Amino acid sequence: MLVYRTPKTIKENSTFTFCPGCDHGIAVKLVANVLDELNLRDETIAVASSGCSVFLYNFLDVDCIEAPHGRACAVATGIKRAMRAQKKENFVFTYQGDGDFASIGLGESLHSALRGENITAICINNTNYGMTGGQLGPTTVLGQVTTTSPLGRNKEYHGFPIKTAEHIALSDGTSFSARVALYDIKNIMNAKKIIKKAFEYQKKGLGFAFVEILSSCPTNWKLTPVESHNKIKNELTKIYPLGIFKDVLNE
Amino acid sequence: MSYIKIDNSKCKSCYLCIDVCPHKLIKKSKIIGKTGEYTVEFEDNENKCIACASCAYMCPDNAICEVYKNE
Amino acid sequence: MSEKTLLKGNIAIAQAALKCGCSCYFGYPITPQTEIGEYLSLKMQESGLGYVCAESEIGAINMALGASSTGAKVMASSSSCAVSLMQEALSYACSDELPIVLVNVMRAGPGQGYIYPSQGDYNQSVTGGGNGDYRIIVLSPSNVQECIDLTYRAFYLARKYRNPVIILLDGLLGQMSEAVEFDDNKYDEINCSNWTLEGAKNRPSRKIHSLEPSSNKLNNHIKKMFEKYSIIKEKEADWEEYLTDDANIIVTAFSTMSRQAKALCNYYRRKGLKMGLFRPKTLWPFPQKRLAELSKKADLIIDIEMNMGQMLKDVELSVLGNSKIEFIGKPVGDFMKIDELVSRTDEILRRTDVSLSHS
Repeated sequence: MLVYRTPKTIKENSTFTFCPGCDHGIAVKLVANVLDELNLRDETIAVASSGCSVFLYNFLDVDCIEAPHGRACAVATGIKRAMRAQKKENFVFTYQGDGDFASIGLGESLHSALRGENITAICINNTNYGMTGGQLGPTTVLGQVTTTSPLGRNKEYHGFPIKTAEHIALSDGTSFSARVALYDIKNIMNAKKIIKKAFEYQKKGLGFAFVEILSSCPTNWKLTPVESHNKIKNELTKIYPLGIFKDVLNE
Repeated sequence: MSYIKIDNSKCKSCYLCIDVCPHKLIKKSKIIGKTGEYTVEFEDNENKCIACASCAYMCPDNAICEVYKNE
Repeated sequence: MSEKTLLKGNIAIAQAALKCGCSCYFGYPITPQTEIGEYLSLKMQESGLGYVCAESEIGAINMALGASSTGAKVMASSSSCAVSLMQEALSYACSDELPIVLVNVMRAGPGQGYIYPSQGDYNQSVTGGGNGDYRIIVLSPSNVQECIDLTYRAFYLARKYRNPVIILLDGLLGQMSEAVEFDDNKYDEINCSNWTLEGAKNRPSRKIHSLEPSSNKLNNHIKKMFEKYSIIKEKEADWEEYLTDDANIIVTAFSTMSRQAKALCNYYRRKGLKMGLFRPKTLWPFPQKRLAELSKKADLIIDIEMNMGQMLKDVELSVLGNSKIEFIGKPVGDFMKIDELVSRTDEILRRTDVSLSHS
């Protein structure tokens, strides 16, 4: 009996363009999995962003638009408002990196949350700008060496990293905000459950739902994929704790 | 017997599946894949596979595309 | 024909947008265009339409980008320095081939400038402030009635050609009230259902993107865009002529400045000079061919703008040495009054001897 198959919402014959062992692949697959389970394919408009995930529209068999760097939540807002004005059934989500969501696009992201925009945002936090070769980003942790913090992130010199899920949780318009990781099967299955919840909250019309996914970047971290997962488990989750920071249905 | 199906054309040789399999049923193959490294193969001579699909969920490239459970 | 009402340019544009079915508006306050957003805020909320007081102009134009991808008729409005913030998304919208109507009610620049009347955004609109090879259709009304007519036309052209359209007017026109009437929108409804994103029910999924790693594909995409632009150039150039039949002096001006230029023509006609006005209604495509024809019969072209000579470049490219070109401009401040225009024109006429040979 077939107990698992590649999600239907992954385009047939599509090949992910991520580096070997990158958690982006696991995350995209989980998103596709949840779209399948909730039967959302026919009403979904996905918003891709700039960065490693830019080719999302080549992987997912849903209608998809590319947003300028950082503007995914604004583009999603426009889509959502337009679909509502036309009284059409719809499901809108963004898939962004941490640089996209929390640095260049922080204004658009945070204000979408504050407005309680009824969209879901998925943010991949791999603590650097991966696509451009691993520069210091908004989530680079103190001490972390990147190509633009060669001596390590220094709080006096570079400032502090952002805890995105906690910040988004503070907004009154947020219905759900959580941080998950993908370093082992237990966490992957939990991430799937959390993504599903964030998608369902939109379908229930509860407002802005957000999932931050702690992800590996083996290429730029210069670690093997397995070592990268260990780094997330042993180091990053100490700085970026996993959990649900806001849940309007459980307060 | 339970088993998995591997699409070697998609395997990028990250070996996360080797690490995650609870019964260590996946190992490097002799086939070189798209990244120039050996891809993986499934070998289960003692019918240990429980079709948990951990490898499939872990695989970032959908190379492990199907999992079958013995009934 | 409906009855005449007294309306401000800004409000006329807002009402015209609603009349042609605009279902989404995104904006951020900036003088002198704020009334557009203020007016639409109540009307659109009452009708269940899409309206967002955006966090910034960057947010607003990207909301417009998203909304237009669903096939909704979308408008955003802003002014000068804030339109600068929108250039990135306009470049994307051209490559994505998304119809967005953007109203720019100009204020003075550069930088923050001030809310004085000015026409300093000709270059920004016509040659574009964003990156890459693209064109934006630019319509420029000169009175409040035309604000209505060109808003209808902007929505039509945007969807017909799948391209952003800018309605460019100066702050004076945005703030000025005139008697207008709302004709029925005479433009055809354009069916967009073959490209819009609304969920891939019963069809293959669609993607809208500007990124293209294959240089071949990207080259072809841009060539296709430019084939479209050459059709627009051929078909959509529009202009107004006033007393040009026998004119040997042609005044060129756009938007509100053209009204002063008309008064100038009347003044010199009374003095026996054969002066006429050529006013582009489309700044891009610029009505180059017609101005070239007129310039062959003319001794002198006087370009009048509320800037340091931005349309002047297009005038020069049209005239190509057929006749002399002089420029009267003022970037900021009070709108140039007829006295000032006359004294500067007199000076030009004395210097160029044109008046002597034909008066």
